[in-house]
Amino acid sequence: MALPAHLSQTFSPEEIQFLVENEPIKIFPRITTRQQVKRNHGDDRNGFRSTTSWTPHRWRMITTDEAPLNNMVAMQSTNVALWIALLLKQQAKCNIIAPEWLTVKGLDRSIQFEQTYPDRFSPLPWDWLVLSEILFKRASDDFHDPVHELRNRIQDLREMRQVKVLKGLKYLNESHLQLDNLSLLEINELRSFIVNIMNKLRDIHNAFSVDEQGESEDEDISYGTMRDSSTNMS
Amino acid sequence: MGYFDVDDVLADAVEVPCKFQLEVAQVGFLAGQPGESVARNSKLELPLWLARILAIVGAGDGEGDGDGDTPFVELLPPDTFAARVMNAVKADPVALDLHAVSPYFYALAVKWVNLFSDAELGETVARLLLARAQEINSNAANVTLVERTLDDLAGPLASRQNGVHHSSPFMLTMDEWEKTVYKEAHEAYRDSKKWLLQ
Repeated sequence: MALPAHLSQTFSPEEIQFLVENEPIKIFPRITTRQQVKRNHGDDRNGFRSTTSWTPHRWRMITTDEAPLNNMVAMQSTNVALWIALLLKQQAKCNIIAPEWLTVKGLDRSIQFEQTYPDRFSPLPWDWLVLSEILFKRASDDFHDPVHELRNRIQDLREMRQVKVLKGLKYLNESHLQLDNLSLLEINELRSFIVNIMNKLRDIHNAFSVDEQGESEDEDISYGTMRDSSTNMS
Repeated sequence: MGYFDVDDVLADAVEVPCKFQLEVAQVGFLAGQPGESVARNSKLELPLWLARILAIVGAGDGEGDGDGDTPFVELLPPDTFAARVMNAVKADPVALDLHAVSPYFYALAVKWVNLFSDAELGETVARLLLARAQEINSNAANVTLVERTLDDLAGPLASRQNGVHHSSPFMLTMDEWEKTVYKEAHEAYRDSKKWLLQ
């Protein structure tokens, strides 16, 4: 209760960005952090140890998870968390590889999907809006496609999906809501509105359906407790 | 809807018309005549929290075991849910000036439906809510990210000329609960837009 309501009941966009920055992303490192570097490329399949030699670095990254960060080899793609990728990118130590859906081709496919199915959302990842925005801002030179074209398509997608959401809001009810493939940021900006409306609809609904179903068995627990609280009021 | 919900308390204080079914001594102060008794069949406006109790609890008239008790008052339908209003609700939910009907319309409606198990009223109100929700949402989604300037302080006229302030007539007709919904939704839209444009 220490937080104000708008922070305790929903995320701020900054918090969503924080969550998204923990997602893995593919990078091309420009530095090598692996301790053992293969000198001889001839027969490394037979004996890994015999064909490698130690070139100890003066430094290692401090991580809880050894694997990706201390095993980077220049120009070999690897997966790291987005926040560390952005840090490396900032110091020109890596290139970020845009995910497959974040290309002109991939986005066109999503737009196609949105147009074909007027009542469904295309299966974009849950962080598409935030991730694309971060990459446009921080790694715009790593895209193979022109950024302004990608930006236009992201904007188009967002608008098409918003129209669909608006259509869907006409069918809000007191019990059920399905939001497949909608990303966290898109849900987040609707959350307080939808929760408020659905709560009130349920209040109204419970108020008059108490007596009709009062005699029958409770079908589920949550409904039963709702009913208890509403009967206590009167 | 908690114990400390100010709007809930204020909604409970809304006065509803009641008819006394018994003569009650010493409560003339309710009708502005201290010391007198209130006669049978006299009509009074009582706050909902009081009327609700008095409509349930009755006084025995001497005989019987309590089953035949007459409640002190009979609740009469308030103007808020008069047929005139209900027709307006059904005709055009968005054009209705809900704030003029009652600033606590939804809270009252829920309480009233609860008291009388009035399913028809409940369904009408649910439809009204859903129709107005679309309008609230489209108003809330209307975000202009212009920093407030000194012109805003000069008055509504100055800011309207600058195109900063978009206030539709609909927003003046919202009831108190709708206003909180609008405020929260608007803040969510504004935060997202701010983040995307930063």
